[in-house]
Amino acid sequence: MTAMNCAEAEELLGAYALEALTEEETRLLEEHLRTCAEHRAAAADLRRTSALLPLTVEEGDPSPDLRARILEAVKSAPVQPVEAARSALEPRDTTVVPIRRVPRLSTWARRSSRLAVAAAAALAVGVAGLIGYQLGHSSPAQVAYTFQGDPTAAPGAEARLVYFKDRKQTVVAASGLPRLASGQVYEMWLIKNGVPVDKGVSSSASGDVGVQLSGDLSQFQQFAITIEPGEQQLPTSTPILVGNLKS
Amino acid sequence: MAAQLKRGESTAIESIYDRYGRLAFGLAFRILNERGAAEDVVQDAFVSVWRNAAGFDARRGSLRNWLLSIVRNRAIDRLRGSARVRSEVDLADADPRAEVPDVWEAIALDLERKQIQEGFRDLPDPQRRTLELAYFGGYTHVEIASRMQVPLGTVKSRMRIGLEKMRTFLTARGVMA
Repeated sequence: MTAMNCAEAEELLGAYALEALTEEETRLLEEHLRTCAEHRAAAADLRRTSALLPLTVEEGDPSPDLRARILEAVKSAPVQPVEAARSALEPRDTTVVPIRRVPRLSTWARRSSRLAVAAAAALAVGVAGLIGYQLGHSSPAQVAYTFQGDPTAAPGAEARLVYFKDRKQTVVAASGLPRLASGQVYEMWLIKNGVPVDKGVSSSASGDVGVQLSGDLSQFQQFAITIEPGEQQLPTSTPILVGNLKS
Repeated sequence: MAAQLKRGESTAIESIYDRYGRLAFGLAFRILNERGAAEDVVQDAFVSVWRNAAGFDARRGSLRNWLLSIVRNRAIDRLRGSARVRSEVDLADADPRAEVPDVWEAIALDLERKQIQEGFRDLPDPQRRTLELAYFGGYTHVEIASRMQVPLGTVKSRMRIGLEKMRTFLTARGVMA
């Protein structure tokens, strides 16, 4: 087979994204993709879509002993040194297709700007004063939540939220957060349909934070805290604490 | 979790298993339809993640997608009994997923999954079936044409259009850029 032209390549992009081409077809198509920016972009979009297919399956229940078997196998498995592991992880040259970067965050950036959600003013209040709130249960006028920090990134951290429905205000008291480096801040986020909305920052040196958020909490599904190099419009790092808001 | 894994802390594997083990098993079972074989594949995939953890680079893709791509590849290899040449951990498959820096995966996962399932379910049957045969069956387009008794061109366009429809659906819902 000779080099693939644009029309031939066009036809095969769906099958390529699904890895349903023969080796020879794959090789020829990738050769074309290296020189055709338009098809490279289309292939990347289709690949990003097919990459979501594993998430269409239902979770299953493996045998209860699988966990133990895996841990046992892991303990006796040698760990590859970094270099060997890295080379094993590198895609082979023949299959590398340069693909346009389309980070997920761009969706959020686009939507956030479209929504033009102004970050709520974050009013620092004393954490010590907040502990006195009844946080353990909810009432018709209030909803309370307690979230734990990520076990790796923020072990032992905890955040408590109380939403006052009538005033549409939320008081957040977080404690035990990892200490900030110079220039860093804790940033609070409320997430609506996957879109994080900036809810203000704190630069507390103690790892304890108290803030008040304005707005209707019931519109959001999650609360999160990240550590950022100054206030960001969108998160640039993995949250150190995340919680689901259910009313 | 990824940092813990890279430091060689085996507790990381426990955390990853607790978070994604059921999904990994669900995927392997979806492909193999046999519990024992699915568990073997999941076990192999976790050991592979452990062995190659030092080379994991979060900038290239999420831990979840890396794990799931290994599960999928191993399950397909086992199903097809194929000698498809793949390196121990071939990120060629996962590479496109690296385009999605899935930093918020834990938060977004539930919502995302519901929307992805809906987008897939809403495809016309012939398109959905074609994608299933390719992704979960490991069949080539030629094999699918033969199985479904339709022209090859039909299979190619079903693949393309099915994926495009899902993409449009998911873009409208903010799951994809």
